[in-house]
Amino acid sequence: MSTFSNLEFFVVEAFRGIGRSPLMSFVAIGIVTVTLTIFGFFMLGVINLGNVVSTMGAKLDITSYVNKDLSNRDAAELEVRLKKIDGVEKVNYYSKDDSWKDFKEEYSGKLELGEVVSENPLPNTFAIKVRSPEILPNVAAAISKIEEIDEVRYSGKLISQVQNLVEAVRLAGFVFVFLLFFATLLIVVNTIRLTVLARETDIYIMRLVGATSSFVRWPFVIEGIVIGVGGGVFAVLLLRATYETLAFKVSAAFPFLPVVTDSFLLSMVFAAVGITGAMLGMIGGYISVSRLLKNA
Amino acid sequence: MIELKSVIKTFSNGVEALINVTLHVGKEEFIFLVGPSGAGKTTLMKMLYREEIPSSGQVVVDRINVTKLAEDQIPFLRRNIGVVFQDYKLLPRRTVYENVAFALQVTGAPRSQIRRRTMQALELVGMLKRAKSFPSELSGGEKQKTCIARAIVNNPLILLADEPTGNLDPQTSWDIMELLDKINRRKTTVVVATHNKNIVDGMRKRVVVIEGGRITRDQQLGTYSQE
Repeated sequence: MSTFSNLEFFVVEAFRGIGRSPLMSFVAIGIVTVTLTIFGFFMLGVINLGNVVSTMGAKLDITSYVNKDLSNRDAAELEVRLKKIDGVEKVNYYSKDDSWKDFKEEYSGKLELGEVVSENPLPNTFAIKVRSPEILPNVAAAISKIEEIDEVRYSGKLISQVQNLVEAVRLAGFVFVFLLFFATLLIVVNTIRLTVLARETDIYIMRLVGATSSFVRWPFVIEGIVIGVGGGVFAVLLLRATYETLAFKVSAAFPFLPVVTDSFLLSMVFAAVGITGAMLGMIGGYISVSRLLKNA
Repeated sequence: MIELKSVIKTFSNGVEALINVTLHVGKEEFIFLVGPSGAGKTTLMKMLYREEIPSSGQVVVDRINVTKLAEDQIPFLRRNIGVVFQDYKLLPRRTVYENVAFALQVTGAPRSQIRRRTMQALELVGMLKRAKSFPSELSGGEKQKTCIARAIVNNPLILLADEPTGNLDPQTSWDIMELLDKINRRKTTVVVATHNKNIVDGMRKRVVVIEGGRITRDQQLGTYSQE
């Protein structure tokens, strides 16, 4: 009973506070929205890059290309030579024509290939599986020594490059988001401080008649949460709309890129954005009234 | 009920507000603190509810050593002390009822009690009919009565009034003093700081005179000036 009437009191007081400086509250919600949207995009970016890495990681093999036409005999001979290389587990051969057929099947409907290329641009391909990822570079080097092989590719190098990129993005993003959070927190604190100052007498009376510090704090903390959650809701709406459009366009333009569309994962990101908003507001509300409580 | 032992208060700017003040106020007593502005009356009162801390000496209220009270215990001390101000300090956007109920709400009192006790306090000060008015619609006397209702709604052991009649005409001032006397007869210790000679002389209560931070006179059934 008592707790319920307290909560009602806190919430009513919080909305009174927002009502007292509606413009500043609106600005604060706007700024929280911007911050959280950037934070959300950063998270989605990292998740997508991570997804690229793990998709590529699944293909731990070496692909070597032979540009000139190969007879079946030549190909079989080459296959034997490749198999003799230390560390090679399995070799699969795909002729130019097979590859072209597969490619056209896989991307039928997605790309109008006929409009882009008139003849088969693909090379003959040997897909080589190695026993373990560490020996990839050595095996690749050995393969590239074979005269007929024009090009050797293995995803390990690219994976580590993308992984480095993800790490860099994560680090830079972390610093950037941290600074952004800090700036937003200052704005939330100062917005709520306007309410605090407008209600200095209220707070004085509250403390005088024996309200505990936490009791004095609650309305401001709730005011902060309202601002934070308000910003969070707008940010999630903005993120969802933008991400869905973007994801659709990216997968249409680059069908080979694995764009994350797992709705559970996306919901988690959006929940994280909302919770971060609430936390930002809560901390802001808490700080805003601290100085006044210390003075009294 | 109130015990000050060799209390010294020196502010950070060097001003000596209280110099070696020793005072005992018994349970259910009514005393006047008189003296010129800046004599230290307000500082003395603020020490009782821990808004000021003495530089040295001891302040004991209801057997609690206020000087050594932990920060988180201060609210509970204050629930036993009602404070009335010269400028009322009413919250302008709240009605008379809400101003008084506010003092109960913020201590987390249950809702059923809030209504009953607020009504009782308003009835005691004679403000029940004005319960729905806002402070801006009240006369000075009515504002002060509301302020008193707020101070006593918690049933405090002590009521402190700092210049309660400072902004009021003589007749209203007497009404307020009668009210404070009535509260005192309900077993609340009352301390009134005032400049009002007529009232002090008319009431004939214990008078404690503070001048330059020192107690210069302490007289039962006293008067404003030395007779």
